[in-house]
Amino acid sequence: MFDQNGLSLDQAPPLSVVFRFMMVGAVFGIVGGIWMGHFGAEALDPATPQGRIMVHLFTLGVMLSFMLGALFQMLPVIAGVVLKMPTQLAAAVQYPFVLGVGALLVGFWTTRPWAFIAAAVLLGGALLPLIGLLLRRLGEVTHHSPSSRGMMAALISLAGVVGIGLSLVGVWGGGWDGAMYLPLRTLHYSFGLYGWIALLIVSISFQVIEMFYVTPPHPQWMRRGFGWGLLGVLLLLGGAEMVWPTGIPWLQTVLSLMLISYGTVTLHRLTQRKRPLTDATVWFWRIGLTSLIASMLLSIVPPGDAYPFLPPLQGVLFGLFGVSILFAMLYKIIPFLTWFHLNSQGYFTAPMMHEIIHPRTARLHLYLHLGSGVLLLVSVGWAPMAHAAGVAIALSFGWILYHTIHATSLYRHTQETGEKIAIG
Amino acid sequence: MIISHYMTTEHRECDTLFAKAEASAAAKNWEAVEPEFLAFANETLLHFKKEEEELFPTFEAKTGSADGPTKIMRFEHEQVRGLIGKMAEAVEAKDRDAYLSLAESMMILLQQHNMKEEQMLYAMCDRVFPSELKEETLTALRGMSL
Repeated sequence: MFDQNGLSLDQAPPLSVVFRFMMVGAVFGIVGGIWMGHFGAEALDPATPQGRIMVHLFTLGVMLSFMLGALFQMLPVIAGVVLKMPTQLAAAVQYPFVLGVGALLVGFWTTRPWAFIAAAVLLGGALLPLIGLLLRRLGEVTHHSPSSRGMMAALISLAGVVGIGLSLVGVWGGGWDGAMYLPLRTLHYSFGLYGWIALLIVSISFQVIEMFYVTPPHPQWMRRGFGWGLLGVLLLLGGAEMVWPTGIPWLQTVLSLMLISYGTVTLHRLTQRKRPLTDATVWFWRIGLTSLIASMLLSIVPPGDAYPFLPPLQGVLFGLFGVSILFAMLYKIIPFLTWFHLNSQGYFTAPMMHEIIHPRTARLHLYLHLGSGVLLLVSVGWAPMAHAAGVAIALSFGWILYHTIHATSLYRHTQETGEKIAIG
Repeated sequence: MIISHYMTTEHRECDTLFAKAEASAAAKNWEAVEPEFLAFANETLLHFKKEEEELFPTFEAKTGSADGPTKIMRFEHEQVRGLIGKMAEAVEAKDRDAYLSLAESMMILLQQHNMKEEQMLYAMCDRVFPSELKEETLTALRGMSL
């Protein structure tokens, strides 16, 4: 059976499905930037309500939104999984998801149980059925690629993140006592940051690094073993949190070394690309991968009072990793999908990729992103800088939002006015 | 895996030719772009011809399906042919921006197309063709020209 129908138009989801997740993700990013611009360094401390809100604005609001959009788009390409009625499905997930994130943030700010209960119902109701559906469809695939295997492992992690998150929300909502609160919270962010965000990026990159930059593939052992390997280490980490606390640093080190090796290999692959042109997206990848390596190196350092800035620095670097890779992908995906859909519909007046987003525009954003990254890193040591970092982050996501809207309006304009040839 | 090996090697050769022409276009070295782009276009079109006139019909006869993967591959070949035409216009007009923009679409389109062929179609050919048929097909592919 030939599973990989790929980018054929009848298999790819409508452009609006992918772009709606991107737009909402960008809006959350702008809100996050404004939040940090207002509260400054308090927003970088996860022990404060401001920090909890900031973390969830970015992990849930930004990263999960963009990643859901990526899943809708990439599943047909990478795994041959075609979702039925994608427009309706995306809407059915996105509305309760956005309301659920809003309720969770209100809960963190007010500590009102009703807000947590609403968040649990909305987020659980939006995400768990979707994860179940995607895992079922991926389970039916007969020929798995390294990317589709990794996606499955990442989705299992996401189910863990949501499940554990719901139990934490239960504690906040007053449903049960918080005896296991701390280990569960550690697992919640381990599965979220490494099992979901990092693993999904890794899995997708096995395909797109080769596709976008024409590089040799990642080594076979990495492509085959990474997804289930990382999930296995996370599950062991989960067990260790409960019954074997002395094993935690060892497992954390294994996990860090896995991600460091991935980052190093991928940086090396970028030097081996056949296309010698270095556009902004290559630099977004380099910034992201370097941040990942630095963050994972810091995570190996044993926790202690001697270096109180290390945990926030590690968190900021991991955030830079996620957001940099996000931007690297968006500057390829937004113009390509806009062109591809119009071209496949037969519009020979379809704008070219550089007319949708010019490489100069991406380069300007790269400088803005670099600036916000530097400001963020400095603000770990010098708190007042966090206000400026917040403003830069809001501008950065505003930039992406503008270009997503611009691409959408070019798409509609071409459909309304463009000349078309009949496609058989 | 002789079919996979032969066809995949051709994909990589096309990538190399493409990258060469793209680098020359980026440097506005139009004297070099023209022959380099032509080499890429010819190599790609010959590869498509080999698939459409030899490999796909053999696959279709062997599996009894002309409506599956090969239909999608033929459709994608048409998309690539359209882009080759537009890139040729950009070379003629010495329009660097248009060339690089089209090159970007071309590369993503081609790479995802190649991946599907390499991971699925060629592997299936190697699996379902008896070794005699594989040798025959390979000889026919080697003998083809534009």
